[in-house]
Formats: sequence, structure tokens, C-alpha cells
Amino acid sequence: MTEQGETGEPITILLVEDDAPTCWRLQDALVKAGYEVRSAGTLGEARSALAGGAPRVLLTDLRLPDGHGIELIREMRQRFPDTEIMVISALGDEESVISAITVGATGYLLKDAFPTDIATTVRDLVAGHSPISASIARFIVRRTQGAAPNSAEPPPGPLLNTARLTPREIDILWGIAKGFSYAEIASHLGLSKQTVPGHIKNIYRKLEVHTRSEAVFEAVQQGLIKL
Amino acid sequence: MSEIAAKAPTKAAPKAPTRPRRRLIASRLVPYLLLQALIVIATILGLRLLQPNDPDDFALSGFSLRQDGVTLPVNLPHFTASRYSLDDPPIYTGSFTFRRGEAASGWSVYLPRFSNAVGVAVDGVVVLDSRRDANANRPDRNTPQIAAIPASLLREGANEITVRLFVWGPLKGFLDTVYVGPDAALRPAYETRTLLFVTLPVVFSAWQSILAVILAIMWLMRRREPVYGVLAAAMVLGVVQAYVPPPVPPAATSRLAAVLLASAPIESALVVMFGVLFFGWRWPRYGMLLFVPGLVVFVVGLIGGPPLPRILFLVLGIPTVGLCLVLMAWVTATAVVRRQDAASFTIGCAVTIVLVCWIQDMLTVLEIVSNDRIFVSRLSYSAMLVAIGAGLTWRFARALNQVDSFAGQLVTRVREAEERLKASFVREEERARAAALANERTRLMRDLHDGLGGQLVSIVALSERGHEGATITDAARAALKDLRLVIDSMDDIGGDLMLALGSWRERASAQLRPHDITLDWRVATPQGLPLHPELRPWHVIQIVRILDEAVTNAVKHAQAHRIAVTIETLDASEGPYGLISVTDDGQGFALAGHDEAGRTGQTARGLRNMRNRAARCGALLDLSSDASGTRVRLQLPQRFPDSDAAAG
Repeated sequence: MTEQGETGEPITILLVEDDAPTCWRLQDALVKAGYEVRSAGTLGEARSALAGGAPRVLLTDLRLPDGHGIELIREMRQRFPDTEIMVISALGDEESVISAITVGATGYLLKDAFPTDIATTVRDLVAGHSPISASIARFIVRRTQGAAPNSAEPPPGPLLNTARLTPREIDILWGIAKGFSYAEIASHLGLSKQTVPGHIKNIYRKLEVHTRSEAVFEAVQQGLIKL
Repeated sequence: MSEIAAKAPTKAAPKAPTRPRRRLIASRLVPYLLLQALIVIATILGLRLLQPNDPDDFALSGFSLRQDGVTLPVNLPHFTASRYSLDDPPIYTGSFTFRRGEAASGWSVYLPRFSNAVGVAVDGVVVLDSRRDANANRPDRNTPQIAAIPASLLREGANEITVRLFVWGPLKGFLDTVYVGPDAALRPAYETRTLLFVTLPVVFSAWQSILAVILAIMWLMRRREPVYGVLAAAMVLGVVQAYVPPPVPPAATSRLAAVLLASAPIESALVVMFGVLFFGWRWPRYGMLLFVPGLVVFVVGLIGGPPLPRILFLVLGIPTVGLCLVLMAWVTATAVVRRQDAASFTIGCAVTIVLVCWIQDMLTVLEIVSNDRIFVSRLSYSAMLVAIGAGLTWRFARALNQVDSFAGQLVTRVREAEERLKASFVREEERARAAALANERTRLMRDLHDGLGGQLVSIVALSERGHEGATITDAARAALKDLRLVIDSMDDIGGDLMLALGSWRERASAQLRPHDITLDWRVATPQGLPLHPELRPWHVIQIVRILDEAVTNAVKHAQAHRIAVTIETLDASEGPYGLISVTDDGQGFALAGHDEAGRTGQTARGLRNMRNRAARCGALLDLSSDASGTRVRLQLPQRFPDSDAAAG
């Protein structure tokens, strides 16, 4: 079985992971699911791999021997805006996931996920569904509420601009944080189940502050540019 | 007054032996009295020195007095009988010799002392009438008068001089030696007397009025210290008395004269009151009797005609003043014995001086001492008041300085206290932070030890056996799951347990998916579980571990196909509480006490762990299991306990 894109070409994945056993494990799961996988152990290898053309999906670890995965994600988002980007994380903690989201990643993959879950996650991503975990949703909604009541201190953890999220998007995040499924959230909010992933994709886009459009938006927000 | 003064020491030290105290009083009183005796002598000597010198070369002493139709020769100074009518005054007639060549300047007539008023005529022409100068007629002042004699009036050789002496009782009339001569020779003597008996009293009165204002303001700002008010009142009376000109008797405003006459006894009573208050005693109610003579003079003056208040003043007012002076001397002497401070010494000496002056004036009035009828008590009293006022102001300024330095000390102390407080606050904060960190570390260690540690050891053990790959995988997964749980529980979820359960649902689903077990998630009430502001990370860990254990049991031992998790809020009489149920459709297992053989050791330990954990967060755990499945019912407390009491 081979996973194919809309054009019929096989879906290409660039996997950047320096720990060899983890790399093998992920690669096995993805190849078995029919994806075309190239792997790189360092930032340098990843960059040279990109010389041959953009992959459909980038899966990258954050701590790499010759640099940080964030740099790679940022480059990727600028050079190849259509590539789907996911972070590979051991624990799925917000420190790594949120910082990746702010530079353009749209989800994360746990290193110990079951092979079927790995394939499913990538398939959903390519289909336009960006998965979001309860703990990440929780982190985001807490930021929208100004974190702690004594807001003299900045809230701990990575910085996140949540100003643009709409009340509906925040409701969806609350639902995810409390463990509701998409179907439950859709029925609570009076949405159709199919629109929930779209909202989540929007949330990811709004949280990304380093894209070009975002820069213009920020400038308008801060009164630097008048439209 | 004297009663109080005598009683107070007995009260203060009732047990003190009498003899040493008497000796102490004597040892203090005797030097004081000796000092006062010295002051008396000094005052008498001073008064002698004060006596102004008059130019005796131009004195006229031989006069003929025509009085009540009788003419007789007299020698000045001369007293006439007291009179109550201005008609037909005594007329002194004398003569002097004028030589035109003798003096380049004009001639004058100079009267150093008279009582009460004079009209002077030279050769039948009036050159001076002191009734026009109200202040000159006051018997308590020693006002001199001088008048230039117009040159055209003077004849070469003998000239006649006539002095009419206007007298209003009850004092006797008095005419001192009259001087006629060149103005240049007479004027210095006149100036000296004016300076002593006119200008100096005005200066004192001006000073007194300023002090009256200062003391009145002090009293207004510090009502609880009436001593300032009393002294201010005394000074105001004194100033009024000094500045308001007394009318000459036939005038219609004779009542004003009565008011002025009444001022002296009232004023002296006020000064006694001041003394009593100043030295810290209570003003006795019967002390008000001191004001009675003054008030009597005042009332009589308002009602009766002119001579009566003056007579009353003589018989009531002046003795009152004397009595007040004696009382004041007693008060200060007592104060000196008790307090031995500079203020009582100073006031005591001043009182002695005034008392001596008053006695001297009395002797003068009674003609026991020939003193040219110069009255000095009023002058010395003004001086005393000024001294007291200045002393009080000085004392007040010193008190202000003390307040200032006290305020400075206070500021310093407050700053020191503040710094100490700040330091201790910083220490306390550091201590609290360290304690919180230590607590958190302890908790983390325990949580990691409970889960991750055991699982890692299990992984090591399995790896060493080398042929249990799948089991190693399970152990490692469990360790990772636990690590995520510990990290997750550290997050601040604001008391909403649903947020923790959301993450748990994801992990549980991922865990169940390879086993083809469906996780049914049902939130029965819209808000899920009640909010628990007291919820702490260690509560969350216990609850999530209980749920983990329930799911693990269902997977490993019950061969379930479906696990349902139901979350609801139920209402009890004391308020809502949360209920989490985990139900599976497995084959179930026998519970403790029912079937010993049906359980493995591991399950038993798992169940015991679940109960322990529930107890630690005050939750109720209810397990029921039969062939159709197992049901774990975790009833959350309405309030989670603060301390991990069951942890030990």
C-alpha cells in the first residue's frame, strides 16, 4: 500500500531525528504505511536533503547535534509554505510544542506512539487535520485568560500571542482540554463535526507569529502601518 | 491653697519617715528664704537708687495754701486732705524771682509729682492744666509735668505762681516740690522721670500685649493647658488697664473708671491661678473667692457713683492684690521646696520683688515712709509678667525642640524597624520559597519513586533476563506514561479536574487502541466536575493513578472489550460532589475476602494501592466486580484535604 497525494505522487516525508533507534522505529512505521521517507540525523543533513526538493511533510526533533529544530521549521515555513510540519517530542510538553507552533508547526508526534497511531497522525495531517492535544489546548486557553490573577509576573513557559483567537475557537480549545471528542465539541457548540479540524488549523495559523502575513498583521495591530 | 500644698507631700509619700523629710524641707527652704531676704534688701536699695534727682537750685518750697477759706503757710512736698469734690480746690501760692539776663533759653515750671491733677498759673495766666492729659492724673503712675512759661509773661524780679491741686478721693492730695527755672536746667530731670514712669511702663505694656497674643494662641491650640489662657487673660487685663485712659472724675464715663479699678484685683487673682496651675496643682473651687473683691468693685462701679468704687478699691482691691502676692509667694516657695527647678526660683524671686514694692507703696500711702509718693508696684508687676511670659515662651520653644528631636528619633527608629522588617521579610520569603521547593521536591521524588522508579527497575530486570521484549516494551511505556503524568500534574489547572482528565483520556485511548478496547467517555453533567480551588498537584496524581490502575486491571486481568468512563456531579445536602466511574465488560475478579485464590498478588497490591490513594485525597473508592464486569466508583470529596495526612 502506498499513500498518495492528490496528484497521485507518493507522499514524501523528511524525518529529522538524531537518535538512531527512534529514527528507525518511526521510519519503519511510516514506510510500512506507504510513505516515502528520507531521514536526516542533523540540521546539515536535513538542509542538503531539502536541496533535492520540498517534502510533503517534515517531521523533526528539536534538539539536534548541530542546532535546533526550530531553525529548520522556520526555514521550511519560509521556503516551502505548503509543507506540513510536525515536531517529534519525547514527552509532548508545551515548552517544545508551543515554541514549534509559533514558528509554523501544526502538531506533534510522540516518539513512543504506537506505529498505527504514527501513520494515522501523519495521514490526518496531510488530509488537512491538525491534531491538538488536551495539554496543549489547556496551555493555550490558559494564556487567553491572562494566566494567573496576579499578572504582575509574566506567565511561565514560552511566549504565546493569543490575542487573535475568537471566542468560538477558545470554546473549542476548552472542549479539547477537558477531554471532549470533536463530535462532542461540535454538538455542544452547534457546529458540524467536519468544521472542527478547520477551526483547529486556523488556531495554529493564528498562533504562528513569524510568517510574512503575520508580520503585517502585527504591524497593523501595533499602529506601525496604516491600511 | 495652703491646705493643698501641705497635704500633697503627705499623700505622695505616706510611709516616708517624717524627720528626714522635715530636714529636707528645711534644707531647701532656708537657703531660699535667705535668698529672698537678700532680694528684699537689694530691692529696697534699688528703689533708693531709682529715686530721681531733681535740680534743687530751682526748687520752690515755701507756699501759702488757701483751703476751705483758710490761708496758711506750707512747705512742699505737702499732703492735703482727701476730697470728693473738684469745686474750690486747694490753691498753693508762691513766688519766684526771674532775672532776664540769667538765661538765654526760656523758663519752665516743672512738677515732678502731684496727685491727682494740677492747674498752674504764672502771674494769673494758666500755663499748665494736667486734667487735659488723662494719663497724667492716674494716682498709680508717677507722671511728671513740665510747661514752658511764655517769655512775655515773666516780669523782671518777683513773679507769682499759683498751683491748684485737684484731688479726688479717697487718697490724699499730694504736691511735691515745684521747680521753676531755665528750661535747659529742668528738662533733663523731667526726661528722666518720663523715661522711668511713662515710657518704661508703655514698653512693658506693649511687650505684655504681644505676649498676651502669643499665650492666647497657645491656649487656643492647646485647650487642655489652661495655664496659658489664664496668663493671657491676666496680661490682656493689664494691657487694657495700662492703655485705656481713665476719665477725669466729672466725666460721664465714670463707669469705665470702675472697670479699670476692678482690673487690678482680678488680674492679681488670675496670676495666683496661673501660679497654681503652672506648678501642676489643681485649682481649688474655693479659689474662686479670690475673684470676689475685684468683681464687687466692678459691680459697684457699674451701679454706684464715682467715689464709691474708688473707696472700695482702696479697702478691697489693694488688700486683695497684697493677699494675692502673699499667696503667690507661698505657692512659689512650696514649689521651690518640692521641685527645686529654675522656673520656681525665678518666679519666686520676681514675686518677692513685687511684694516688696507693694509693701513700699503701702507704706507710702500710709505716709509711714516719705518717698515723694512714687508708686512702684505697678511697674514691678508689669516687669514680672513680662519675665513670666518670656519664660513660658522659652519653655514652649524648648518643648517644641524636644518634640522635634523626638520626631527625628522616631523617624530613625521607624526606618530601622522598617529595615529590620524588610530583612526579616526577605528571610521569611526565602525560607518560604526554600520550604516550597523542598516540599515540591519531596513530592516529585515520591511520585517518581512510586511510578517511574519501579518501572525502570522492572525494565532493567526484564532486560537482564533478555527474552521478554514485549514485557520490556510495556514497562517502558508505563514509565513514559508516568513521566508524562508527573509533568502534567505540575501544571496549574486552576482547580478544574476536567483539564487533568482530558489529558488522561488521550493517554488512556492511546494505551487501549492496540488492545482493540474502546474507551467510552461520558460526561453526564454539562460542567463535568465541580471546581476545587484547593486542588493540588498531588491530589491530581492520586486520582489519575487510580483511574490508570482501574484501566490497567480491565486490560490485563478482565479481558474487557469496552471500558466506560462516566463523569458526573451529584448533589448532596452539603453541596455538590464529583463522581467518576470506570466500568468494564470483562469477566471480573473476586474481591478481597471473597475468594482468596482468584486473585494474583499483583492485583491485590493494585487494589490496595487504589484504596490508599483514594484515602489520601479524601475520596471514597467503591469496587464491585462480578462475571459481567467490574465497576470502580470514585466519589470525590467536597473539599480535598490540605495535607497528605495518610502519606506516612
